[in-house]
Amino acid sequence: MTARCKFPVKRKEAIRPRKLTLALLAAAACLGPLAAWAQTQIYDSKTHTWVDYDKKKARQYYARNNQPPEAFRMQTVTFRTAEPPGTIIIDGNQHFLYLTQPGGQAIRYGIGVGREGFGWAGIVRVGRTAEWPTWTPPAEMVARDPNAAKWAAGMPGGPENPLGARALYLYEGDQDTIYRIHGTAEPWTIGLDVSSGCIRMNNNDIVDLASRIKIGAKVIVLMQGAALYKGV
Amino acid sequence: MMKCVACSGLFSSILAAALAMSSAAFAADLVIAMPNWPSGQATANILKVSIAKEFGLNADVQELGTLLAFNGMEKGTVDIQPEVWQPNLEDVIKTFVTEKGAVVLAKHGVPAWQGICATPAAAEKGLKSIADLSDPEKTKILDTDGDGKGELWLGAPTWASTGIERVRANTYGYAKNLTLVESEEEVAMAGLDIAIATNQPLVFACYAPHFIFDLHRIVRLTEPPHDASKWKLVGPSDPLWVTKSSASTAWDTANFRIGYGAAFAKKRPEIAAFLEKVDLTPEEATAMSYALEVDRIPPLDYAKKWVADNAKRVDGWAKQ
Repeated sequence: MTARCKFPVKRKEAIRPRKLTLALLAAAACLGPLAAWAQTQIYDSKTHTWVDYDKKKARQYYARNNQPPEAFRMQTVTFRTAEPPGTIIIDGNQHFLYLTQPGGQAIRYGIGVGREGFGWAGIVRVGRTAEWPTWTPPAEMVARDPNAAKWAAGMPGGPENPLGARALYLYEGDQDTIYRIHGTAEPWTIGLDVSSGCIRMNNNDIVDLASRIKIGAKVIVLMQGAALYKGV
Repeated sequence: MMKCVACSGLFSSILAAALAMSSAAFAADLVIAMPNWPSGQATANILKVSIAKEFGLNADVQELGTLLAFNGMEKGTVDIQPEVWQPNLEDVIKTFVTEKGAVVLAKHGVPAWQGICATPAAAEKGLKSIADLSDPEKTKILDTDGDGKGELWLGAPTWASTGIERVRANTYGYAKNLTLVESEEEVAMAGLDIAIATNQPLVFACYAPHFIFDLHRIVRLTEPPHDASKWKLVGPSDPLWVTKSSASTAWDTANFRIGYGAAFAKKRPEIAAFLEKVDLTPEEATAMSYALEVDRIPPLDYAKKWVADNAKRVDGWAKQ
């Protein structure tokens, strides 16, 4: 990616069904990677064209470079907003998470989101954070996935844990929404819609984000998947 | 923001507001209601600082919804409401101003505007007029969820203007090819921030004065001028009012004015005369909105500087 590539990532204008309900998404939150949808496109600076960025290409790219494409790496960008510094804004459509900074700037991180986007939009806050959190698969996943079943009582934190190095627990008021922003054991999935529900970031990025935010930080989730919009 | 059009929230808890009247309020010489949108907050404090400077009176500024403020002005517990929006509050004005004569609206109105706006990326790709929104080939660039249809933010769920925007979408026809979205204004504005930062096309309901016109370079879509004969709005008390209504031209020009209690005007005619001379402009209201929302200047601090910077003008308002 060259520096002059100003708008390096976009969504392919393809039709795909969005039929999951919020309730289903909530029940299946944080399941881990399931399948990829070839919706993301990245800018190829060699051919000066937009190319599909799907599960296969993502694996290949990560194997070659040991990091995601430049668009999805942590970087400071110009960002004018009325939101105060320290606010998190999540754009699941373009696979970016912004942490607003003083002086009309933001730190932008690449994210992976659920196959159906985040499933809702609205304003929440970071209720708590955890280092190398335990992952407990939902009952529905335990019932259908033997790999998940063995962790029914909770998978200890570590490199293989799908929640990765940190988790930010999103609350509405004093209530845990069950949604999290967390790390990942599969960093090649950043930039893709491959799991259900939660926001995934590379472990280095989530560690950086967790070190910068304060408990209570405002989190705005944009209206990706407007048909699913229900608020929180 | 100004959109107190939604007055549903304002009808709640008059008792709570009465209890909230602090003892300081009774110790003050007068009470100014402060709305929850920034230009109203700035103006409430500008009036407080100006009245102290010119008349030596201590005004207590209290955060109150518009209906509570009107009730207070009738009862004498509130004296001034700095921004009364028309036509958004016509029902309230009819009751308290026309029928009861309990509240007076200052003659000077600050003109306001409501309509549909677009990011430069949307305008550059052909979305320049309201008619363009009915062309599915043009609006598919607004698709953010992959269903082939673009999205358009109508406003916050509690705003009365949001329902009217839905009526307009139905009447103009773009409701057929756009997904109409409602959300809190903060979510929509954060989406606008990102659309600008990444040069994405976005179209959304908007209004002025508003800080976004200073924060971002956005474009107002052109529309046929307002024609009252083409606005047939059924009252929102009818559950089917949106489907029974129609509106196929631009909004009528809105304005907002200072309101004050009629009894207060008798007790303090010099203050009433002062309020009649306050002549704020839309540009000033936008600047207030920007200063409080983007620069995060506390309203009272902003007001003190504003009055100092506009000392001669404020003196002129106080001259009888």
